[in-house]
Amino acid sequence: MSTDIADPARPSAAAAAEGGPPAPKRAPNRLLLGAAGVAAFLLLWEAVPRLGIIPGRFLPPATEVLATLGERVLLPEFWIAVLDTLIAWGLGLAIAFAAAVVLGFVVGAVPALRRFTSSTVEFLRPIPSVALIPLAILLYGTDLASTLMLVIYAAFWQIYIQVLYGVGDIDPVAEQTARSYGLGRFARLRYVAWPSALPYLMTGLRLGASVALILAVTGQLIIGTPGLGEQIAVAQASGATALVYALIIATGALGVAVNVGLRALERRALRWHVSVRGEENA
Amino acid sequence: MILPVAATVTLLATAACGGGGEGGGDGDGPQSITVGAIPIVDVAPLHLGVDQGIFEKHGIELTIENTTGGAQAVPSVVSGEFDFAFGNTTSLLVAQEQDLPVRIVANGVTSTGEEGNDFGGVVVPEGSDIAEPRDLEDATIAVNNLENIGDTTVRNTVRQAGGDSDTIEFVELPFPEMPAALERGDVDAAWVVEPFLTSAKAGGATEIASNFVDAHESLSVAYYFTTEQVIQEDPELVDNFTAAMEESLAYANDNPDEVRRILGEYTEIEESVAQEIVLPTWPTDLNRESTQAVADLMVHDGVLEDKPDLDELYR
Repeated sequence: MSTDIADPARPSAAAAAEGGPPAPKRAPNRLLLGAAGVAAFLLLWEAVPRLGIIPGRFLPPATEVLATLGERVLLPEFWIAVLDTLIAWGLGLAIAFAAAVVLGFVVGAVPALRRFTSSTVEFLRPIPSVALIPLAILLYGTDLASTLMLVIYAAFWQIYIQVLYGVGDIDPVAEQTARSYGLGRFARLRYVAWPSALPYLMTGLRLGASVALILAVTGQLIIGTPGLGEQIAVAQASGATALVYALIIATGALGVAVNVGLRALERRALRWHVSVRGEENA
Repeated sequence: MILPVAATVTLLATAACGGGGEGGGDGDGPQSITVGAIPIVDVAPLHLGVDQGIFEKHGIELTIENTTGGAQAVPSVVSGEFDFAFGNTTSLLVAQEQDLPVRIVANGVTSTGEEGNDFGGVVVPEGSDIAEPRDLEDATIAVNNLENIGDTTVRNTVRQAGGDSDTIEFVELPFPEMPAALERGDVDAAWVVEPFLTSAKAGGATEIASNFVDAHESLSVAYYFTTEQVIQEDPELVDNFTAAMEESLAYANDNPDEVRRILGEYTEIEESVAQEIVLPTWPTDLNRESTQAVADLMVHDGVLEDKPDLDELYR
């Protein structure tokens, strides 16, 4: 294992493909508890402004916020904003994913190249994407491109690092076996490297997806590219407090949806993997 | 040091995104242009101009781009992404000092000139012992941008009242957060504009000064501007924009009900609040005198190094 990049969060292949804990025996109970938890939170939220602990002008009660959200979801503008947000997220994530996979496999396969780039990567990776906002505005102005730049930058590193680990984690026995059977470079990539790296890739994609959504909304909020983030900014500049909360809840729901979708994708892509197969047998 | 990975990412991003915006049409048909504006009360004339077909009449097809902060307006116009934008007077004066080729082409928004009945002012929380501008000495005051129109005019107000403006501590806070900060006692006073002036008063705050009014009887707080380049490349477009803008300003000034109506289209200000707020005025006059007054205050405070040449700033 010649990893130059030290990362404490280095997952094992099994952990990389965790699809949640084993299926619970008492699912209804879990659902019930979850629903009760949400209800308790909403009750608390309703009570805090009603009891005057925080003035309702700054924290509207839950019912008011949910009513505002209910009005919003009936408007086409709301769904256009959701779509704009998803486009910025999806496009950015796709570009980051493609670039990270290609570069990760190339750099990961050539130890010299990996050592040559590792210090640079270690320098660039911790730069928070939001710090690039002024640069993005200078380069691309305030349209989608500047938000995309942030999304790509943030998501790229998450995926790239995972790909490097994945490529580094190839079982040498499998690699040697493939060689002795006369598999060519491409075939080895296809039948040995790719399946070995896939669990890592999926982890990277999931991490990248969350970060990409955060940056898509941040970009809209600060730069003003169209989407939910921009609507939050307009609502805030207009002093429409309940609407600000309602839109924040909408972005949260979008985040949950993205995560659920990616977990499902991960399980599908890794159906053959021991970690997922093990779950299905449970 | 070569940054191969970063370079590749940037290249990919560039390839995926293409360049920035483009402006201008040519020949027949209306010319498509983009104007950057913050979605606040001040830019109602711009939205009314589109709504009433005034720009269309002048051969301009206008796209209004929401910017979330005034600070973006200048770089976006200089980079050519917006053909015109709405920017505040101090930002334009600072841009000019940095040798950026910004040029004012139309008035933006102007104070009402009425003490206690303007669209912005200094407020103190309920039960504050600050009763008049002079008491602001040693106070902590919230403004939306440091070294900008807020602190410059507030210092002037305190000096005019016979106080020492050097002892004030200004802190930067977004307008929407100011009413809450006042109520919590994080700041002693805040300079707010509508609709937050109305909501701060509704929360029990008292207005103790109209800083714009103190600075000049008819202070233009912001302007529509473009760059020297656009003026040289397409003077006719700039003439048309100025003419349409002046007509829109006059329309907004004469039809306050229309202004309150259009607020519902491009902002999220609640209707009840929109009926209550104090509207600014929108004269067509370019109001050089008031810009000179702001520039003098900025030179006094050291925000500007030298006296600016207003002939350079105005088209």
